[in-house]
Amino acid sequence: MTRVRIPIRASFKMEEQQNQGEEPQKRKWYNRHYKLLLLLPLAILIFSFIYMVAFYQQHGDFIHKDISLTGGTTITISEKINIEELKQALSGKLDDINVREVYDLITREQKAVIIETKNEGCNESQINQIKNVLEGYLGYQLIDGENSSFECTGSTLGASFYKQLLIAILIAFVFMAAVVFIIFRTFVPSAAVILSAFADILMTLVFVNILGLKMSTAGIVAFLMLIGYSVDTDILLNNRLLKRTEGSINERIYGAFKTGITMTLTSLVAIGVALLVVRSFSAVLTQIFTILVIGLGFDIFNTWITNASIIKWYVEKRK
Amino acid sequence: MRLKLGFRIWLLIVLLVLALISIFITPNFLQKGVLITSVDSNSTAFEQGLRQGQVITQVDGREIKNLEDFTNTLYGKYISNQSVKTILKTNENEIILYSKEAPQITVSEVQRTNIKLGLDLAGGSRALVKAEGKKLTSEEVADLVDITRNRLNEFGLTDLKVLPVSDLTGDHFMLIEIAGATPKDLKEMVSQQGKFEAKIGNETVFIGGEQDIASVCRNDATCAYIETPQQSSDGNYYANFRFSVTLSADAAKRHAEITDKLGISLNNSEYLDKPLDLYVDDILVDSLSISKGLKGRAEPQISIQGSGSGTTMDFAYDDAKSSMHKLQTILITGSLPYKLEIAKLDTISPVLGNQFTKFILIAGMVALISSSIVVFIRYRNFKSSLALILTSFSEIILILGIASFIKWNLDLMSIAGILATIGTGFDDQIVILDEAKQKAILTLKQKIKRAFVIIIGAYFTVLVSLLPLLWAGAGLLKGFAITTIIGISVGVFITRPAFSEIIKKMEE
Repeated sequence: MTRVRIPIRASFKMEEQQNQGEEPQKRKWYNRHYKLLLLLPLAILIFSFIYMVAFYQQHGDFIHKDISLTGGTTITISEKINIEELKQALSGKLDDINVREVYDLITREQKAVIIETKNEGCNESQINQIKNVLEGYLGYQLIDGENSSFECTGSTLGASFYKQLLIAILIAFVFMAAVVFIIFRTFVPSAAVILSAFADILMTLVFVNILGLKMSTAGIVAFLMLIGYSVDTDILLNNRLLKRTEGSINERIYGAFKTGITMTLTSLVAIGVALLVVRSFSAVLTQIFTILVIGLGFDIFNTWITNASIIKWYVEKRK
Repeated sequence: MRLKLGFRIWLLIVLLVLALISIFITPNFLQKGVLITSVDSNSTAFEQGLRQGQVITQVDGREIKNLEDFTNTLYGKYISNQSVKTILKTNENEIILYSKEAPQITVSEVQRTNIKLGLDLAGGSRALVKAEGKKLTSEEVADLVDITRNRLNEFGLTDLKVLPVSDLTGDHFMLIEIAGATPKDLKEMVSQQGKFEAKIGNETVFIGGEQDIASVCRNDATCAYIETPQQSSDGNYYANFRFSVTLSADAAKRHAEITDKLGISLNNSEYLDKPLDLYVDDILVDSLSISKGLKGRAEPQISIQGSGSGTTMDFAYDDAKSSMHKLQTILITGSLPYKLEIAKLDTISPVLGNQFTKFILIAGMVALISSSIVVFIRYRNFKSSLALILTSFSEIILILGIASFIKWNLDLMSIAGILATIGTGFDDQIVILDEAKQKAILTLKQKIKRAFVIIIGAYFTVLVSLLPLLWAGAGLLKGFAITTIIGISVGVFITRPAFSEIIKKMEE
């Protein structure tokens, strides 16, 4: 035993010594390798591009769409129903079904069942057809607006919504880019912000696709929220580096990092715990929050590696 | 603590008070009971004077405090299928009913706040309608909206919104939203075509649409005009309007044959003894006197007249104008030249909505608490962390206050917007705190100015990125965009300045 103790102490001491010299050493390492760090986001970006091209070729689209974009009906029945049996009974009778439940957060008691199915239009006969199948299994009448909710989106409308949301994201991105250029008025810093916002979106998109998440209109809106969320830390960082003179560049990056990471962490924690709550009842909010959590994760990476390296490079060169 | 509060903090406090007033001071502020949301207009309850908007306070002398009380007391009585007597006391009247069935009304809890929840939370129905295989022009949609609104009003639906919407691709739709209970035959009502008929007695003279109506004079003062309102002996003003309609040859011939059989009115010798009755979907909407000169003539040009009334000249004029417009629309589009298609139809039960709202509040609270914990851990300074959290909380109240004030319906997406706002609010205040702590040799004022450069920059990027959502998706995502825009604007212009002043006071 005594034999073992000594080397432990020794190593402990060595660590302490290393610790003292850590700051300058870390700084040295960062100063030497920050440009190399850019290879990391570059590699992920290249992977993402290749993945998206392959994804597009395979699926003919950028995302897996849910029925709010392809057209279909969501039926919420506020009764207790065994979802496994329901799923089995409905398969083959309704297209592309997906069944899940809504439960009470505290008691875990089932409150409702949500059934999603694909259909073309929302005229009376088309909705009644679905209703009849369900009523046939349940054995009681579904009165929409009372014991059940029907939300139907026609397939042409779904397709048109999808197209418009893509346009909306594109316009939002261009607008954001314009504002960023107005703020910084120089090419490299503006481009760095825009690039890292773009990388956030692309990487999140790839991640969401790898997870196999079926995206709804709300999910696409979440991407739009991401544009706003991702640029604020970038603006903070670039502002501190370009418009301040006090402290060294690294000190300014570190100062910005402390502020920025607090910002992102509070958002991440807030959205993360809210996600645990909303999962029990709302698919819409669940999807928005999931995408935001993923996006904010990538935002940490892109702000403090992609954007930080570019802007440090730029400032060092300008000196 | 004796601090002189600065202008910005006072502004925040005053606006907070206003927001709280706007949220909580409702017409039924202290009213106990249940609110009647609809009464079947053919029921005895309606005849007895029960109306939508009244609050039932007692059933058979028993106090009603909430929905559960009401359901238990009332519906328990009608199990036996025998006639029973029920005394309903409302805030306005007392009515007595004898019946085998429970009165045909729907009720809800009395609103304690002015916050209006959207359809996906409060229940209701929404339909997005377009023409099948045809792109509607904005004029066509405007006509469609007019005629549908008239028709749905005839059905007695009041809590109803019918409006034209368009989207980014230039498609025009008609949006129908009905809050609360969903009428059973909504689908038929929406997709059915309006039917217009002009009858004399039982005989149809002409029907709406191209076949019988060659043209309707609109927006041309020589053949469509409103006379100057005149005051009558009862003090009200009346305004006559008149516009001409050109019938097709067939319809004119029919008109001649039918009017030929009529006599002169006994009341007014200028007119024939039977009026021309206008029906929309078999419901009489107007009765026009036919001047005697038209008797038996195959006159293609007929003049349709009517009147509007009101307590002032302006009201009478406006009433006449809207009646005239309504008639013109019905005549032109009485039967639509295209088939309607329901592009989106949501009928949402209010049952789950209450739970949703409860869970959302829980989600909001845990989010606020957990991010507060992060802030406490980071700053280890109780006062500034508390200031940060309270400021964020006041932001929520301001947003809800504005939403209540402009009667904005908060749907699920709006709530996502509020959460997003709180997130950016937290972020911005962290920037202010950190900038204030910077070691630079600057005054606090200058440091905070620096923080605002960053905050304003971030504000504008978020603002512009939300703009396209105001139009995308037929306006269904507007809720998110508007709440977020309200939220971040309140933040940048009201709460953030107040927060930085609080920080200044604390540093002093």
